[in-house]
Amino acid sequence: MRIFKNFGQALRGLRLNRGNTLLMTIGVMIGIASLTVIVAIGFGIKVKVLDRIANLGFGPESFSVIAGGGKMFFSRSKNTTSMSLQDAEDLLALPTVRLVVPRQRKRMQIINKKEFTNTRVYGVTPDWQRARGWHVVDGVFLSDSDMDRKRKVVVLGATPVRKLFKNADPIGKMVRLQNNFYEVIGSLQEKGLTESGYDPDDRALIPLTTSMARLTRERHLHSIKVVTLDASQVPETMEAVKHVLRRNHSLSILSEDDFRFITPEGIMEWVTESAQAMNRMLILISTVSLLVGGVVIMNILLVSIRERVREIGIRRCFGARKSDITLQFLFESVLVSLLGGILGIGLGLSISFGLQRFDILPTQVTWEPFALSFVFCTLIGLVFGIHPARKAALMSPEEAIRS
Amino acid sequence: MNSICKSYRNIGFETQVLKNITLHINEGDYVSIIGPSGAGKSTLMAIAGCLSQPTSGEYILDGEEVGKLSDRKLSRVRNEKIGFVFQAFHLLPGVTALDNVILPLVYSRNPPSDIKERAREVLAKVGLEHRLHHTPGQLSGGEQQRVTIARSLINNPPIILADEPTGNLDSKNGMETMKTFDKLVKEGKTIVLITHDSEVAEHADRIISIRDGEIASDTKRQPSNLSGNL
Repeated sequence: MRIFKNFGQALRGLRLNRGNTLLMTIGVMIGIASLTVIVAIGFGIKVKVLDRIANLGFGPESFSVIAGGGKMFFSRSKNTTSMSLQDAEDLLALPTVRLVVPRQRKRMQIINKKEFTNTRVYGVTPDWQRARGWHVVDGVFLSDSDMDRKRKVVVLGATPVRKLFKNADPIGKMVRLQNNFYEVIGSLQEKGLTESGYDPDDRALIPLTTSMARLTRERHLHSIKVVTLDASQVPETMEAVKHVLRRNHSLSILSEDDFRFITPEGIMEWVTESAQAMNRMLILISTVSLLVGGVVIMNILLVSIRERVREIGIRRCFGARKSDITLQFLFESVLVSLLGGILGIGLGLSISFGLQRFDILPTQVTWEPFALSFVFCTLIGLVFGIHPARKAALMSPEEAIRS
Repeated sequence: MNSICKSYRNIGFETQVLKNITLHINEGDYVSIIGPSGAGKSTLMAIAGCLSQPTSGEYILDGEEVGKLSDRKLSRVRNEKIGFVFQAFHLLPGVTALDNVILPLVYSRNPPSDIKERAREVLAKVGLEHRLHHTPGQLSGGEQQRVTIARSLINNPPIILADEPTGNLDSKNGMETMKTFDKLVKEGKTIVLITHDSEVAEHADRIISIRDGEIASDTKRQPSNLSGNL
């Protein structure tokens, strides 16, 4: 019975102190929403990055050699013009190497009459298909004779096919890259978007020789993919590749490599490392945003309770026990936390989905930040809402009403 | 009350407000406590109303030593035995007259089933039946004081403690208030009135004068005087 009465008084208290109730609710709401949105963005980016890395298309028995020294992935490479087709041939001659795919890459516009789209154009050799195991669904793949004759032919991924030809059959049609027309001789099997929105089908493949002569007008390669006979041979093959390339590029003992490796293990290591770094960042940001939210709630509570000491005194004069006061303020805090929590979860969810929906930032909603911030805000509410009320209840009623 | 002492400690200073006050008030008494400000009247009333505890000495209310009661019991005493009327009204702001009057019943152990009806009755008794849903801010000083009197009466306590009930009122409202108290005494309530106004104090049958924390005088009016008026 007493509990219901105090609950009623709490409702009344919240209604009477509308201003404070509103501020506190907003405080809790923003605390929860900001944390969840930040964590959702963090997770979203993390998933996207990891996904992109996973989509580099590596089997366990292959690795890539990228022109230019330095660290994996990042840091602009110096001396990127040194890797040649000759290097690729020499690597293929190594005993443990099954295939090599020398490659050039350039992002550019591809045009079919009035339709155009921006895509990644790769200059590759016929071995690309074997190295990737990626089938042509329509037409044929690039052939050795296309390479030898530097033919202007192109194999399209599913995305440019859709964008340039709608539903029409693209085979035999001409598309323009820069100032040259290329005949479409094949289209690749569609892989579909990855979870994070990365589109592996957004690509066009032309013969490497054509790319060198007409598209990039560069003699050097951007990368060479090396496929070994067996996954266990990757380390020794890397050593051999290193030896060949250093010799071919006539590097002295003192100079650094002018190429770098991307290996499955390297990727895994990098993925793990970046995942850990991102986790650390997320934890840091979450902690800060929780603390800020907590401090806001705490301050509002401290001010509002101070204003209400007199009310507590009056209630005590007319028979409220200390426990009645505690119960009333406990209910008030819990109600505010619940209300703010529900609103905060709603707001956090809508912002997270909105960011994703309108392509502003990738987000990934998880339940942990909701739970964490909810518990934290409620705890703050309890500690800083009840403690001062309890202190006011412990004063003699005489002191309380005179304050 | 037996040799009550009360001192306040304030950053090293100890101020003794009440010095060995011994006082006995009977049921049905109409007592006024008079004295200049700072004499310790309000402190005395706070102790009498179980709102604070004496530093030393014992206070026996209705056979129970107040200093030995738990918070639970003290709250019950305040709730059931004492009705407070304050100079500063001490109404809950923003709460209607009706709900303010109900407050003691909220914390009552056995509240009547018709709480609202009771509150209406008491408010009617003080002439506020037309102001039930006004908040303190919408009421005049006199009306607010009548709400506090209604609040002090709703749980039907035997004792009414009034601290300067006329202090914030003009003389007309003050007179009204005093008439209400006079009426309550006749209904058998014990009334302790604190004031610095000797004219107000004259309403009581017994006037205790306090000066510097000690009882300076304790005079009873002749009972015949009162009965003569009846």
